[in-house]
Amino acid sequence: MPRPQRTPLLRSTRRFRLVVLFACLAGALTLRAQEGFHTETSTGVTNIRIAVADFKPGSGDAQTFKGTFDTTLYADLANAGIFDVVSKSLQPQTTPGVPAEMNIQQWAVAPASAAMVAFGNFSVESGKIVCNGFLFDAKNAQFPQILAKQYNEEASDDSARQIAHRFADEIIFRLSGGSQGIAESKIVYVKFNGADKEIWEMDYDGANQHPISKLGSISLSPRISPDNSRIAFSSLGKDGFQIRVFSLILGRMVTFTGTGGTNLSPAWAPNGKDIAYSSSRSGDPEIWISDANGSLARRITSFRGPDVSPTFNPRTGSQIAWISGRTGLPQLYIMDTDGSAVQRMTDGGYATSPSWSPNGQFLAFAWDRKYGPGAPGGQDIYVMEIATKRWIQLTHDGGRCDFPSWSPDGRHIVYANTADGKASHMKIMTMLADGTQKRALTGTGADMPNWSWK
Amino acid sequence: MVASIPLPPTQRSLDTGVLTSEAPSPAPVTAKEKTETAATPDSVAIPEKTKPPKVSEKPTPAPPKHVQPITPPPTKAVTGETAGIRIAQSTMELKNGTSSVSIQDRSFGERYAYYVSIVNSKVSQNWYKSEADPIASMDKSATIVFDIDREGVPSNARVETRSGSPSLDTSALRAVQRVDGFGPLPAGNRITVEFTFHFRPQ
Repeated sequence: MPRPQRTPLLRSTRRFRLVVLFACLAGALTLRAQEGFHTETSTGVTNIRIAVADFKPGSGDAQTFKGTFDTTLYADLANAGIFDVVSKSLQPQTTPGVPAEMNIQQWAVAPASAAMVAFGNFSVESGKIVCNGFLFDAKNAQFPQILAKQYNEEASDDSARQIAHRFADEIIFRLSGGSQGIAESKIVYVKFNGADKEIWEMDYDGANQHPISKLGSISLSPRISPDNSRIAFSSLGKDGFQIRVFSLILGRMVTFTGTGGTNLSPAWAPNGKDIAYSSSRSGDPEIWISDANGSLARRITSFRGPDVSPTFNPRTGSQIAWISGRTGLPQLYIMDTDGSAVQRMTDGGYATSPSWSPNGQFLAFAWDRKYGPGAPGGQDIYVMEIATKRWIQLTHDGGRCDFPSWSPDGRHIVYANTADGKASHMKIMTMLADGTQKRALTGTGADMPNWSWK
Repeated sequence: MVASIPLPPTQRSLDTGVLTSEAPSPAPVTAKEKTETAATPDSVAIPEKTKPPKVSEKPTPAPPKHVQPITPPPTKAVTGETAGIRIAQSTMELKNGTSSVSIQDRSFGERYAYYVSIVNSKVSQNWYKSEADPIASMDKSATIVFDIDREGVPSNARVETRSGSPSLDTSALRAVQRVDGFGPLPAGNRITVEFTFHFRPQ
């Protein structure tokens, strides 16, 4: 890279300037003739401190929807896992609506001490919500504006929520350095409906729970396709358990060729074209891969012992993790999608329901390390690093946990948990991928969650 | 401007003087003269193939010296603070102190200070200090230069200033290579970042 001319050493002795030295971590920016900057390491990297102001209400019937909007925006940024959200009581009591009304200094000093401020205005005009959102950098007094967005939707509670989700995702995308926010993602799950189990869908924060399937039978292990267009699940029909696919765009079931045997736990490949599932059509449950409509099925495992719950590597699509009982108790294995390079990951216990993290490095699964007659038992969610086979335990003493599923940003895990051990009392919980911030998303009677890909 | 700081200059700037240069100047090459040993009176001539008399090798001229371009020391202070006028300053409050990023006179860092701090935090998070030998790297700094394209993907990472500890240089290079992306550039098609890694014992 060509360097520009710099002042030689001798000429600069004329000027004397005081330089304040910081203890450890000073960073400097010098910019060369071409665009660029210089920066330095800092020993601690903390979350960005962001303040979320109440949006200024505009004309019309804004108050009803603005309440939903404010709480949803606050919750989305607090749940993101990368922010330190300033609590509402520490904020200045002003509600700036436009950048001209914004006094950024107020927000940068204590008690708020915010590094970023999100604010804007929210009004309802002729049946439409008009919302302007701004994101300001409190540390950059000269050029504070980072984002300016305008949203225009039908006036309803649901669209107020969706606007808040979209704005939160924009903020997260900008400030986290390109990782997609999860505020617009969905979770599909199984809901107990009396004796039946149906597929339902909800927003990532538990709102807007609504049914998807109305088959009147037992439907299990729903999985959304990578482009959010279809949900594959396993349903008990007159031919036994078959894989069924529901199209969210068409609003009805679409074809999936049925076969013999018991077909369970479908899993989408990241290219959206292949589905891996467990099928016992050959007598022993094995992993099969087929097209999205069930044709061209090919078998990829061939050992005696049940092989169930496949999941693809979402980053490469060339590996599958699954549970195999070939050695006795179910253990976690990974292999390539052609069936070669089989590798065992767990060393004992009872492992079920693996989920591969979006960056391809971790597996989350449910594991009972002390399984057996007389053993204390206890099935918890574990995360294992694939390269080193080191694991950490995320849930402790909370009752039986099962069916973990990673969020698209790789920072959250949703799972099913029953506090007292009864299967009918399962509920869906969410937590950060390090086991903190656990909270329930549904009431009892929900199981087998699956987080969408985006 | 370096001389205005009341501190002794570090190793990097010492390399500008001839006397303190680390690169030794090449000495002229001289070859030894080889001659035949004189025959003593007692010696009997051994009938053998006559070897051609050895001629002393001509001294090979020294290869033409390339003029080394003297890079003047950078105008920024070695500690990382610019002595220049600070136009906008962003300070990050951190657990172990403060990281201060002061912006000089060009538009990108001034306008998009938040992007600079994102780059800073992402690379710092991916820097595994245990990859650098702690004794060899104590209080050393490595500078890595890399480009960021429009989509925020880093590329072309190279060591600009070696720290004297190869493990520190490698760990610093790997830290940049680990990052998938910084998010799309807020403006421009490409940007060059100079990132300095200070190794400090915990």
